[in-house]
Amino acid sequence: MLKVPEHQVAGHIAKDGKLGPLVDDRGRFYKPLQGDARGENEAKFYESFSSNKNVPDHIRGYFPVYHGVQLAEASDGSGKLPHMVLEDVVSGYVKPSVMDVKIGSRTWYPDVSEEYFNKCIKKDSATTTVYLGFRVSGLKIFDCQESRFWRPDKRVVLAYKVDGARMALRKFVSSNPSADSVPDCAYASEVYGGSNGILEKLLELKAWFETQTLYHFNSCSILMVYENESGGDDERRAQVKLVDFAHVLDGNGVIDHNFFGGLCSFIKFIQDILESSDNRCENGH
Amino acid sequence: MGLVVSSYSVKMHLKAPEHQVAGHIAKDGKPGPLVDDKGRFFKPLQGDSRGEIEVKFYESFSSNTEIPDHIRRYFPVYHGTQAVEGSDGAAMIVLENLLSQYSKPSVMDVKMGSRTWYPEASEEYIQKCLRKDARSTTVSSGFRISGFEVYDHKELSFWKPDRKLLNGIKVDGVRLALRKFVSSNTLSDTSSKPDSAFASSVYGGSNGVLTQLLELKTWFENQTFYHFNSCSILIIYENESIHDDGARAQVKLVDFAHVHDGNGVIDHNFLGGLCSFINFVRDILQSSDESTDN
Repeated sequence: MLKVPEHQVAGHIAKDGKLGPLVDDRGRFYKPLQGDARGENEAKFYESFSSNKNVPDHIRGYFPVYHGVQLAEASDGSGKLPHMVLEDVVSGYVKPSVMDVKIGSRTWYPDVSEEYFNKCIKKDSATTTVYLGFRVSGLKIFDCQESRFWRPDKRVVLAYKVDGARMALRKFVSSNPSADSVPDCAYASEVYGGSNGILEKLLELKAWFETQTLYHFNSCSILMVYENESGGDDERRAQVKLVDFAHVLDGNGVIDHNFFGGLCSFIKFIQDILESSDNRCENGH
Repeated sequence: MGLVVSSYSVKMHLKAPEHQVAGHIAKDGKPGPLVDDKGRFFKPLQGDSRGEIEVKFYESFSSNTEIPDHIRRYFPVYHGTQAVEGSDGAAMIVLENLLSQYSKPSVMDVKMGSRTWYPEASEEYIQKCLRKDARSTTVSSGFRISGFEVYDHKELSFWKPDRKLLNGIKVDGVRLALRKFVSSNTLSDTSSKPDSAFASSVYGGSNGVLTQLLELKTWFENQTFYHFNSCSILIIYENESIHDDGARAQVKLVDFAHVHDGNGVIDHNFLGGLCSFINFVRDILQSSDESTDN
């Protein structure tokens, strides 16, 4: 039985009769292949990536596992549609905080239509994409103090400037994200720091991006997830996954300098928060 | 053609620089850069705010105590500004002449970054840059070769590619140019393959171009002082006695007319382009090492 995912923060949402992804109860995520080239391109990427011997194993872990294409009942009632079957990145989490960050100082790429280019560059300039090399696309953070999820409106998120992006990254690791007061960054060292933390994972990805010329990950996002449910092991199980490959192209012997630059900028922000969390986030937004 | 200027009772013999590969040249009555015989380079202050921005950068950079010494060497030494008579009394930026210690320098100017525009620029300027960036390898590769001049050891003269040709090159053309830049064989002959004879002396080694670029890259991963919009990396090496004395390759950052404050954000645009350029250089070094092994 397929249902609407609970923790989706960005992209098309299967709600109110709209076409969107679904999940099953076995940890799989069904992404409908839409009529245009994008779905085809994404499936083509997954096919290529899963069989690409040049991708090191430790890097493969940063990508959702691909289970091919299957027919499934579409969420908008239009009948059986082909769906890409992927690993559901947030299955196995009870109360996950999730953030989607689109990486790169541009979301457009060579040879796109003028219409698409204009749409992208307008959004890139209106958000932090051009200036920071990344933008927050969506977030859903568990507020430990209120015991509920905090999810700011999508329009608010897209209007973030530099300070807003920094504040969102601080709130992501705070126990009081919904409060107006200064984020406490209470979980910064557990989630961002440590040998299994998000920073370490980002640095591992960065090392690969310094030399990989296989793919250009145009308009891709990094998804960050961690657990809030206090289980017996107290493990945050922080995860980093690359998602959304509708615009991936061959690297053709050139590194993905657009993604790399944005990733480095994102890493710097995380590093700064980690460093200042030792002194607490008391200096305002 | 030269200019003799009296300044503080010292005669400065100024002339046009010999190996300028990119940027403004003296043309149509407008002043171009000049060099003296004391190792100094005189750059006319460009109109609108650009000259001002460049001076502001040099002033800030030279007094910035947080710039590590090993990074400072990648920037031209700044000697303030000076009015030079004969050039309409226009003020000029006085810099270290990067080529004064070279007798037969090969020089390449590489504009770094996948975009040459920046958010603070005017709409008109942004459009102009977008067009140029898309037509060149800037968007696709994160850098473009603005110009270069290389010494041909067979012809015993300097060779420069046609400017128009250079503007239209794609990724393969960039690779070819980077090979020609370190070759000894006849460069104007398009049928012969460049021999990359000097690849390891120029690009490789513990003091070579690749090592220097990697040092710069580490700094760029953390520095949030400046955004080096539209800046170039200049690569220089000596051809005179290259077999006996080595290439003395140097990397320098130049052209700071569009530099802005970093405001706590790294220069991800420059960094991405730099990393891409490093890969191109590394590939050429590796393939030239492989062919010498054979």
